[in-house]
Amino acid sequence: MSSDVDFGRPMLVLRRRRIAVRLERRSVVVCAVLVLALAGLAVLALMTGSYSLGPGEVLSALTGRETGLMHDIVVEWRLPRVTAALVFGAALGVSGAVFQSMLRNPLADPGIIGFSQGAYTGALIVILVVNGSYGQLAGGALLGGMVTALAVYVLAYRRGVQGFRLIVVGIGVSAMLGSLNTWLILKADLDQAMAAATWGAGSLNGTSWDQVIIGGICVLVLLPAAGMLSRPMRQMELGDDAAAALGVRVPAARLGLVVVGVALTATVTAAAGPIAFISLVAPQIARRLARTAGITLAPAALVGALLCLAADYIAQHVAPTPLPVGIVTVVLGGGYLGWLLFTEARRRL
Amino acid sequence: MTRTPLIAAFLGAALVLTACGGDGGDDTAEAAAPTTRSVTADNGTVQVPAAPQRVATIGNTTQPYIDLGGKPVAVTQVVESTLTKLPADQQATYKAATNVGDQEIDLEKLAGLKPDLILVQIDDAGFKAIEKQLTSIAPTVSWSLDTEWKEFADAISEAGNTSAALSQQKTQFAEKVAKIKETYGAVIKDTTFVDIARAEWSDPGTFYIADIGCSEIARDDIGLNLPEAAAGQDPLAYANLPYEQLTSLSKYDVITYPVTAAGQPTVPFAEVANLNTWKALPAVTSGRALGVFCPGNNSYGPVLQYLDSLDKALATLPAKE
Amino acid sequence: MTVLAVRQDGPGTTTVPGPRRRLLGLVIALVVLVVLLVLSVMIGSTSIPPSVVWDALVHSSTGIDQVAVQDYRLPRTIVGLVVGVALGLSGALIQALTRNPLADPGILGVHAGASFAVTVAVGLLGVSDVQGYMWFAFAGALVVTLMVLALGSTRQGSSPVVMVLAGVCVGAVLGGAREALQLTDPDAFDAMRSWNAGSIGGRPLEVVWPILPFLAVALVLAFVVAGPLNAMALGDELAVSHGVSLARTRVLAIIALTLLAGGATAIAGPIAFVGLMVPHVARWIAGPHQRWIFAYSVLLAPGLLLVSDILGRVVLRPGEIPVGVVTAFVGAPVLIALVRRKKASGL
Repeated sequence: MSSDVDFGRPMLVLRRRRIAVRLERRSVVVCAVLVLALAGLAVLALMTGSYSLGPGEVLSALTGRETGLMHDIVVEWRLPRVTAALVFGAALGVSGAVFQSMLRNPLADPGIIGFSQGAYTGALIVILVVNGSYGQLAGGALLGGMVTALAVYVLAYRRGVQGFRLIVVGIGVSAMLGSLNTWLILKADLDQAMAAATWGAGSLNGTSWDQVIIGGICVLVLLPAAGMLSRPMRQMELGDDAAAALGVRVPAARLGLVVVGVALTATVTAAAGPIAFISLVAPQIARRLARTAGITLAPAALVGALLCLAADYIAQHVAPTPLPVGIVTVVLGGGYLGWLLFTEARRRL
Repeated sequence: MTRTPLIAAFLGAALVLTACGGDGGDDTAEAAAPTTRSVTADNGTVQVPAAPQRVATIGNTTQPYIDLGGKPVAVTQVVESTLTKLPADQQATYKAATNVGDQEIDLEKLAGLKPDLILVQIDDAGFKAIEKQLTSIAPTVSWSLDTEWKEFADAISEAGNTSAALSQQKTQFAEKVAKIKETYGAVIKDTTFVDIARAEWSDPGTFYIADIGCSEIARDDIGLNLPEAAAGQDPLAYANLPYEQLTSLSKYDVITYPVTAAGQPTVPFAEVANLNTWKALPAVTSGRALGVFCPGNNSYGPVLQYLDSLDKALATLPAKE
Repeated sequence: MTVLAVRQDGPGTTTVPGPRRRLLGLVIALVVLVVLLVLSVMIGSTSIPPSVVWDALVHSSTGIDQVAVQDYRLPRTIVGLVVGVALGLSGALIQALTRNPLADPGILGVHAGASFAVTVAVGLLGVSDVQGYMWFAFAGALVVTLMVLALGSTRQGSSPVVMVLAGVCVGAVLGGAREALQLTDPDAFDAMRSWNAGSIGGRPLEVVWPILPFLAVALVLAFVVAGPLNAMALGDELAVSHGVSLARTRVLAIIALTLLAGGATAIAGPIAFVGLMVPHVARWIAGPHQRWIFAYSVLLAPGLLLVSDILGRVVLRPGEIPVGVVTAFVGAPVLIALVRRKKASGL
């Protein structure tokens, strides 16, 4: 892509040494607003709970001037949960952006290539066979999801991987695993079924710093990787041939995108269970806010974080009884589909 | 969206006014200070108050603790169908306590109630996830779901300091068991029994042989000749048997099945009771299918109700020709 | 209409079999189905000798084994037959209507829609009899069918991928919503849990009778629109030029589809993949004539469902696997094989 293409939109060009970053002004503004909104919501989440705290108290707890229960509530209970919502939400947003861009479809998400069902199968097998601890369960989910995604990729491979085939093979494998999961749960005893249900709902309740730190490190490694792939990703949106003409090694880039996309979702799933639909909705909202032609990663990450935090806030404080966040995000999915229907209908009138 | 911080600040100010102040939360240690005992459970040895005053019950500990006369300050959701089987005073005790959640436990609400002891029986993975938080609120005692019910009653009573109620219940239980054994000993000796059931979650068109639950007490304490899974195998109750397997029940002299307190077949089991195959079973045609009410098998109160029901059912047994 | 039955697979495919061979195939399919019906009554979780089964079928005897055959195996076989016909035909219809080889009422979320509506009816509104909740099943199936058709069509016409994705998405949302409902009142929804498994065992025939007239109407409708759908396969303009009313055909097809998919779900719960696989097999045998595809689907689908059900009865004796679990296991590899074939995206 030559540098003198007219993008037709106001641009910010940052030149430092020999790297030029081309940023659309609107994207920058949107990102800044999103960051502000995130900060506001995070503070609100830290203040809200059965123990209501003021901003001052939150601040003094955060800066270590409180001890005892107040310290525990803010620093040990609320903060890891808020951090988890932010980090995991961002990971889901980016993961969805990667898949939607790669498959050039607003309805694609990592669940499509069987990841969610595979992760659930992995978790169930750990619960049923080895009766494992929470850590083993997370490992089982991770392994199950990755193996499934790999299997789907291999099954869809036929002189390259075509988006359409990937989607359909993913649906098939998901269905098989889904029925396997149904059957596994039917065979589980009470303790196992309860553990599976708790995990399967997707919850941030009781998130500890251990989970956040392990998950956070994975996300922090993966996000720059996604950033590095974003350029070939945008070019592949124009079509494989066009991208190849621009010097993109399409098969390698696609494999890289699958790996990063799946690994991001895998991290979240392992730590918190399946949190649905954020990866589906966040990239689309981000795209419309930033009014970009294609999918962009940074706004998608921020919108993902915002959605996840808001959903968890609703799940904890607005719902009549505290619910797993995964249940609330389903509503997000429903709203999104309704909106898609509405716009489709309007476009055709 | 930029208004969010403003709203946050406003809400925060409002909350400060209503907040009950957060002047340090280390009173749990104080309450526990006078005398403590150590209790050993599945999560290790825990120092608990000698006479706990504010007990929180999480998961399956709620009903047994209330059954022992305890008055918890915090409970988790007990499903309606279980709740309605409890005596009225126990239902009132449950309703008087603060509900701290069902799917998710509201830890802050729990902390706000300032319990001095937390009793937990939930799935292991679920407990591990919140163990640290619970322990920081109050001494926490946890048992795994597969704890045998008598041990469980002993353990809850020990941790919750309700030994007087427990020994009374134990006496009643022993008397009841002795009475049934004495009255029906001759009949029980050479009669084969099978207990079958069907639950809401059973696969469509299936029932199961209930070798765990109430009939376990009938087998182990009363001595009824009931089928049992081979050692090391899954309980028979785990297998969903299709209705045509009802034919295999012909070999038993007596079949027991679940009924409500009023003596009607339970809703899921009514489907089985309406089948012609059921009606054609020798035990059914000869009046040796007995409905038994099992309100629960996790503490002495419901078990005593079960034994009463079993007692009445056995009394209707026609003499074997 | 036979004039319109031109091959659409393009050059290189096998020639379309003549009417005589197609008829012969149909007779063979019928014989196979009858054999499977007999096997379904003969084979079960307990071993009952064939003579006893025969006795049970011809006399009204009172032996416990005979009663079990009359009481359990026979209704189960009849339910399998009825549900199989409905599933197969609804699959063939939705594939013809959407011109999408990957369409299946299960994949497109139609079963999920019916199933969700029934959950609401039973759990929230306290409806307990079939006559009450079948209307909800029909309504749920209709709404989701329309939604998926709307989501799946782009300005250029309908796109198989988008439609499939839309269906999966709708299904996932409805599944999640169902879960959320179940969490709010576990007691009320506990009874629904087993119903969601997709099974033909232990469904009393009283559940089938009220739905049967609707399925019969749908069967007639399906064969009425078979010809116009044939014409539409060649393109809307060509169909119009042959005097086909597009709107009328689509409306009738959607009504038939809704009754079939909703009815099957109301009886047996969601069973996926039968509607996907059978029309493909039918197309391989009969070529691209919708009427023949429909006829074959009607005979082959109950066969597939019964084979899956028999498998589910014997692999875990004395326990059983619900048939919906078996069909997904058998069906998903077929889907994958289909999409790996070269021409899969074309129909």
